[in-house]
Amino acid sequence: MDNLDDLKAVWHTAKTDSLPSSGEMVRLIRKFRGQKLRNKWLVIVISLLLTILFVAILFIFPFKLISSFIGGGLMALGSLMLALTNIRSLKRFYRLDDSSNLEFIAFIEQTRKNQLIYYRKIMVFIMLSYSLGYMLYAYELTWKHPSWFVGVYAVITIYCSIMWFIVRPRAYKKGAAKLDAMQAKHENILKQLK
Amino acid sequence: MTTFEEIYNFYSPQIFRVCLGYTNDPDQAKDHVQETFIAVWKGLPGFRNQSHISTWIFRIATNHCLRAIEVAKRMPSAELPFNLAETWEESKEEKLIFLYRCIAELDETDRIIISLELEGLPQAEIALVVGLSSGNIRVKIHRIKEKLSQKFKAHGQFR
Repeated sequence: MDNLDDLKAVWHTAKTDSLPSSGEMVRLIRKFRGQKLRNKWLVIVISLLLTILFVAILFIFPFKLISSFIGGGLMALGSLMLALTNIRSLKRFYRLDDSSNLEFIAFIEQTRKNQLIYYRKIMVFIMLSYSLGYMLYAYELTWKHPSWFVGVYAVITIYCSIMWFIVRPRAYKKGAAKLDAMQAKHENILKQLK
Repeated sequence: MTTFEEIYNFYSPQIFRVCLGYTNDPDQAKDHVQETFIAVWKGLPGFRNQSHISTWIFRIATNHCLRAIEVAKRMPSAELPFNLAETWEESKEEKLIFLYRCIAELDETDRIIISLELEGLPQAEIALVVGLSSGNIRVKIHRIKEKLSQKFKAHGQFR
């Protein structure tokens, strides 16, 4: 078994008859294509719709205070950032086609670094935009009614606190740990290719 | 060879064997075959023969294998069974399992390179798939063969 031809002969005895026929494969492809990225596309579409909605509301309703415009603008900016970040991350799925293994792993490593930047900086920026946006946006709608003002700001404060102190640290911990673990694997493969 | 069906019928067994060489798991290999051909289906209308179609397809397949490191904790690389040497001459299937297990013990890129070599791809094409020079691939194949020979020797499979 030291001979490459012997190995090739053994290699080709692997059974492949359990693979689906071409007709079955076409049916499977039609059924499953796009399914993997459906959630990502959903986030992008919803974020873009929200951006349009926040901007449209500013034009439709007769807001008088500048705080409403700044608040609405910040919420629109947060949604737009979320959409753009997801659009950017989609590239890694399409980049699979026609890149060599070396180029592909280098690209994946770069996207891992981008994801870390997302968790450390962009996510903070998006959440800050939304939090400030809610606070400013709600002012004009509630300031004439003290009970509404207190109620609405209490809800916003609780919601923002949950997002900042529970949801974000958990998401960061989970995401960053996964990305750090991946770094070692990527570096190992890149080392193999040198 | 222009239709998807023709391409699938010709390449799917090859892609399956290469993915099996990488994963050492038939179910995972089948998933990679499916993902590869979803990408081929999507990319075929825009494929302009800038590279050979086999290079394109093997690049997609091996990149899908490499991407699995994001989800898989570890590729299965089971230990060799103790009694395999005794039954070596008896079954082709045992030989095949032994070969795949030896390959599974190699580094990720070595698994890809030897799988493509065993599949019969020219070394220049393997170089294009992996992204290294032909000379580098030749050296790597030589080293991988040595590693495999040592494994066969160690388990009494060398003749």
